[in-house]
Amino acid sequence: MKILLIEDDREAASYLIQALDEAGHITHHATDGETGYAMASGMDYDILIVDRMLPRRDGLSIVESLRAEGDKTPVLILSALGEVDDRVTGLRAGGDDYLTKPYAFTELLARIEVLARRSSPSEAATTYEVGGLVLDRLSRKVERDGEPILLQPREFRLLEYLMKNAGKVVTRTMLLENVWDYHFDPQTNVIDVHMSRLRAKIDKGHASPLLQTVRGAGYMIRD
Amino acid sequence: MRSLPQILRTTTVRLTATFILIFVVFSVALLTLIAWQSSYQIQQQQTADIDREVRQLERIDRRQGIRAIAFAVQRLSSQPGPGIYFLGDPSGVYLLGNIASVPAEIILEPGVYSFDYERFRPFDVTEEGEAKLRRGYAVVRSVQLPSGMRLVVGRDVVERQGFTAIIIQAFLAGVIGILLFSLVAGGITARRVLRRIDAISATSSKIMSGNLSERVPVTRRNDEFDGLATNLNAMLERIELLMQGLKEVTDNVAHDLKTPLTRLRNQAESALRAGAGDEDRRKALETTIAESDKLIQTFNALLMIARAEAGAPSGTLADVDISAVVADVAELYMPVAEDAGIELATEVTEDVHLRANRELIGQAIVNLIENAIKYYEPAEGKAARIVVGVRREDERVLIEVADNGPGIPPEDRTRVLERFVRLEKSRTEPGSGLGLSLVDAVAHLHKGTFRIEDNDPGVRAVIDLPG
Repeated sequence: MKILLIEDDREAASYLIQALDEAGHITHHATDGETGYAMASGMDYDILIVDRMLPRRDGLSIVESLRAEGDKTPVLILSALGEVDDRVTGLRAGGDDYLTKPYAFTELLARIEVLARRSSPSEAATTYEVGGLVLDRLSRKVERDGEPILLQPREFRLLEYLMKNAGKVVTRTMLLENVWDYHFDPQTNVIDVHMSRLRAKIDKGHASPLLQTVRGAGYMIRD
Repeated sequence: MRSLPQILRTTTVRLTATFILIFVVFSVALLTLIAWQSSYQIQQQQTADIDREVRQLERIDRRQGIRAIAFAVQRLSSQPGPGIYFLGDPSGVYLLGNIASVPAEIILEPGVYSFDYERFRPFDVTEEGEAKLRRGYAVVRSVQLPSGMRLVVGRDVVERQGFTAIIIQAFLAGVIGILLFSLVAGGITARRVLRRIDAISATSSKIMSGNLSERVPVTRRNDEFDGLATNLNAMLERIELLMQGLKEVTDNVAHDLKTPLTRLRNQAESALRAGAGDEDRRKALETTIAESDKLIQTFNALLMIARAEAGAPSGTLADVDISAVVADVAELYMPVAEDAGIELATEVTEDVHLRANRELIGQAIVNLIENAIKYYEPAEGKAARIVVGVRREDERVLIEVADNGPGIPPEDRTRVLERFVRLEKSRTEPGSGLGLSLVDAVAHLHKGTFRIEDNDPGVRAVIDLPG
């Protein structure tokens, strides 16, 4: 992916660029808001990572301007402000996702890979399929190798989110945000318990497990 | 203590001075009135006396003739006292009387006059045999008698003026006395008031210099100063309590944040230790990340509490379906509870709406459920059960998380709401000790309360919100 990082903290930026490079992404870097805005509107990026507080021009106004010009490049906003209302204003300005500093790199990587529209099944797709596991979004039925699987409504949404992002890592907080719509960090392993139940339903009795745990990051569904 | 100009500038002294001034002005006015009134009365009296004598003498003149009138005037003149008499022939020539001469125009023109006179002093004769004269000032009435004789009757007014002088003297002495007395009394009052105010000032400066346990002295007089002192002391009590709380929190923050920071540092050091293998280093770094994540969680919790305690910006409150939030969170935790061998049940009244912050309410319920699961100890022969519910009661919305576990002793029920407070038996469990503090702060943010009740057995945590 081609990524534009607008971040004034040079140390944090160089660490991020190196890590993104290791993950196979090309990253351009701008250290202030004006330069960042010029680069974002002049070149085609797959994703923008924008710090909220920047010299010369703040992150939210960059996103607002880009959206006003019809630029739909996905934007991940980074911020030290992590309160609920800050997140809401960030997303309202046109950000697609919001990540609070300090964050784990795996979390950032998982989020930008999910955000980049390339290779994602379109929002309009009515069925998702991964290695014989089929999820029908209209009839809300799930089957694996023709065998129907009975899921609770929440389990269905969990699987739907995983399959929509098949082949990509999704973190626990992403699941909590997208499936339950909460942004807090649970201290216990709530998500893991839900995942192990889902795994029992879809992978039990099959030779090749589809639902995989990615150590230190989260979960991924793939064949 | 205070210099003289400072004392003169004080409110007490100024008030006292004002009162002294008012008092003196009033006294002067009163005394002037009395003096003038008595002087007037005496004058009236004298005029009446003069008129009465003139009428008597006229009657004598008319009925009894010159001999009788001469005799009568002679008798009156020889009496001691302020009386002044003059009898002259129709042309005004002196015949009888106790004054030597009267100006001709007074004698010849009837009317009321006042003039300086010279009076004979009876039995007082000079060596040459001439009568000694006494000077005076008199008010007189001059008439022509029916027989044609001229009569002048009067009263010496020096005596009257003497009386006025006495009054004025008494009056001056009075004013000076009043002034002195007021000054002394005012000074004493001012001093007493100042002393008490100074005591309060002294206490406050001691407090400002850091001694929070100082208190304003309270006397047994039970006056307004004691009222003020009592209130100030109550306020100081509260401030001291708050400061203590702040100190405790700071100490706890220092302890609870320093401990993981120390662990963090130790991990990093052990990774750098000579002879540490790749595997050791990897492990140390993983622990480092886990520890810092925990620290971040603690910081986030602290910030959230601080934000909630400071009150929500008006924009963040919206209409929230509390029933849905409670049901959602309960559903989220149901599998966790089940794995822990606890039945998590819900008792949710449908469609309870409230202006609230959904995230914070959700977080509060999460904290309560996590606590209930984490600290659950199975009782003998009883099925473990946690009930999460929401219901309306009168005008209130009650969100409850109740368990049938070991419970919290009554004396600890409010203490656990404090920041970083963790009961002894929970010290070993992971956690920041901030969970219930946040619940409490969230309840207050929504203008409600949070309390822990006895569920007999177990604990019932109640978020009580106005709705």
